[in-house]
Amino acid sequence: MTARYGMVIDLDRCTGCGSCMMACASENNVPSLPQASARTGLMPMLVRKVSNGLEGTARREAFIPIMCMHCEHDTPCVKVCPQQAVEVDKATGIVMQMPQRCLGCRYCMTACPYHARYFNWWDPSWPAGMEKSLNPGVAVRMRGVVEKCNLCHARLHSAKEKAAAVGKREIDLADYVPACVEACPTGAIRFGNLADKNDPVSQEARSSDAFRLLARLGTEPKVYYKSKEAWVRALAESQSGKASEVQHAEVQHG
Amino acid sequence: MKVTRRDLLVWSAGAAAGLLVTPVPWKLLDDTSIWSQNWPWIPQPTRGPVEVKQSSCTLCPNGCGMKVKMAAGWPVGLAGVSSHPISRGALCPLGFGAHQLNWHPQRLRTVRHRAAPSTWSEARAAFAKACSEGPVVIIDGYPGRASSSVLETFAQKRGGSYRVVLGSETRALAPYETWSGVPTSALGYDLENAQTIVSFGAPLLDGWGTPGRFTRLWVERAAGSASPQLRLIQVEATFSRTAARSWQWVPVRSGAESALAGGVARVLLEEHLVSARGPMPPLTLAEAANQTGLSADAIRELARTIVARPPLVAIATDNNPAIAALNVLLGAVGTRGGIVRRSKHAEKYVSADAVIPSARAVLIDASVPWDFVAPTDAEVFRFAAWDGGSSKADWLLPAPGFLEELTDVPTAPTSALETYAVAPGLVKPSAEVQNAAQLLASIDSTLTTPEEIIHARCADLFRGRSGTVHSQEVTPVATFASVQKLEEQLWKGAVWVGEAPHPASLRCEPQEWPASAAAVPSDTWSTTWPAPVLPSLATKLYRESSLREAPEKRLA
Repeated sequence: MTARYGMVIDLDRCTGCGSCMMACASENNVPSLPQASARTGLMPMLVRKVSNGLEGTARREAFIPIMCMHCEHDTPCVKVCPQQAVEVDKATGIVMQMPQRCLGCRYCMTACPYHARYFNWWDPSWPAGMEKSLNPGVAVRMRGVVEKCNLCHARLHSAKEKAAAVGKREIDLADYVPACVEACPTGAIRFGNLADKNDPVSQEARSSDAFRLLARLGTEPKVYYKSKEAWVRALAESQSGKASEVQHAEVQHG
Repeated sequence: MKVTRRDLLVWSAGAAAGLLVTPVPWKLLDDTSIWSQNWPWIPQPTRGPVEVKQSSCTLCPNGCGMKVKMAAGWPVGLAGVSSHPISRGALCPLGFGAHQLNWHPQRLRTVRHRAAPSTWSEARAAFAKACSEGPVVIIDGYPGRASSSVLETFAQKRGGSYRVVLGSETRALAPYETWSGVPTSALGYDLENAQTIVSFGAPLLDGWGTPGRFTRLWVERAAGSASPQLRLIQVEATFSRTAARSWQWVPVRSGAESALAGGVARVLLEEHLVSARGPMPPLTLAEAANQTGLSADAIRELARTIVARPPLVAIATDNNPAIAALNVLLGAVGTRGGIVRRSKHAEKYVSADAVIPSARAVLIDASVPWDFVAPTDAEVFRFAAWDGGSSKADWLLPAPGFLEELTDVPTAPTSALETYAVAPGLVKPSAEVQNAAQLLASIDSTLTTPEEIIHARCADLFRGRSGTVHSQEVTPVATFASVQKLEEQLWKGAVWVGEAPHPASLRCEPQEWPASAAAVPSDTWSTTWPAPVLPSLATKLYRESSLREAPEKRLA
């Protein structure tokens, strides 16, 4: 059966603790380099702080985890890659980045409307001995390639292996949980199969509170957000060009 | 045949065009790309059998349940344990990178004597000599562990003293100890039964207590709701992470928390909003308004809001008697949903803040925060896993790092329930290390080892026949066939949880309104994180995003 893995992130539950960022970097062997900065760093999962722009007790803040949205339709990064280093996996809907094919031209970074792609400016390195703490399920990427969230593909492989070991073709979704989902202390990030109408996450994605960033582009992202706060939902609209609707909204970039 | 220049050009153009339609250049390009990503200097993960072990985090006294993914004997990933009764599947952000801490560049790997390299035998000889010449003071930052018991026993046997450095969450409970005589180590917050929580700057959603405990409560009963079951009122000068997610944020001037507590207490008494009687604060409402920056009407409204939804409790960031007195007035001490006594038997500790005049030597355990400086002129033996730079210690002794030693995990400071867990040493030490208990055992061989104490504690739990053991399932202690079975479960990461407390067993009656406490800045991590360093992934988070600002005094 063809799956469409995706997420629903409840922004009303996110406290901006950063656990998802830490767990993502740990799972995917993303290095912490002293020369990196907010502009040149590598954060496949990045939580941004946003506010309604007001001060005093009228102020409201929210935190928006941003990662690859795994666009389903006219995926911008796939369309521009000259190396076929990006593709949408037909079986899972995951937008896969293949660093072995990537030449580092960064067209995909320019094309991505969510700024969810990062360039490896430096060779990965860790303090002496720390390479023993690297996750053996994920290969270390070299400088000169683009990286992004791949929905913890190593965990999907593990789930497939587990299913195959007992003669099953389909994985048990309980065996495939991305690191950020597992780490979120408030359960704000939920993961599921959007193609399965009975999946709770799929149902949540169709609820009236759910929305997608830059939905007007028609790329059909598979990461949904939820919020009961009108100003948060309006902020997503403002990013799609309707800034006049939320004049006070401000975004603090990571 | 004569080859002309024209032939050469035609041949070259044909060859170039022909080459393009073969797969050769593309294959070469692809291969080059792959080769260039596999240079020998690119670090490769360790390969080996992968297994997942369950344990408890030992970085701070909150003891969150932790799954450790191990590959070839090394920890390669950490995650929370959803079946843990207190942390409920959560870890703090720093916990997710803790498995990299042992290789931090600041890891203390050798003994140092006044900044010069030394050896364990020299350190041992110096400490033994000091012990023979006078009393020894031992300072612990994580009391209640089996190794704490070893430290205390040694100090008593040698005529010295055992002192502790308590975290701010424990210090916040100190006024109740003063008024009731019940030690802080027996007190906790019954948050699960509270309907209103007034936090005076405590970062409840940002690392306070066992991070998962309040976070899960907030998610279940408050998140995203305009009229939540659990009202979180955050009194704080800045719009913190907790304030941003609170039901109501009350911005007051920094350091004016005591004044606001006094102002609220005055309103409660004057308007007869509470049934309890208590001392009237000397501060007038106008003075409270002046100090806090709020209007008198706002303080009145706040007092009415606080009492509208009992049970309720106020939480301070540190030792603040005015906030504790407000809790007494609100009837939040010794009641359901308030401050409760979780344990009948608890030890009273002597703080290390007092000057230690007569000691010959001071031994500081690795659990004591790095920035603690012993108020003494005695010879200082300082255990630490990481070197935080300048220190006033004469001897720096490398201690086991994360997951490198066996320890037990007593009840978290803010918990309303007694708990007990065991955290075995899962990895071999990456340096020649010893902990304080091992050093003392090398001097006094009659000391009981931490392992024996853990065994004895497990036997006590078994004999007590009360409480439950939480692993994948919950098992009453009374159903365990033997102490070995119980101990085996605890060594595999299960947690023992005691019976629910009896709130009425705590009584506080302050005779007069306490004087204002000194202002304590709200702090998120540095109070519960004794190490002077951060996991490198945390440094990454601070450096490569603007989500958080790095805690002060911590090395990247």
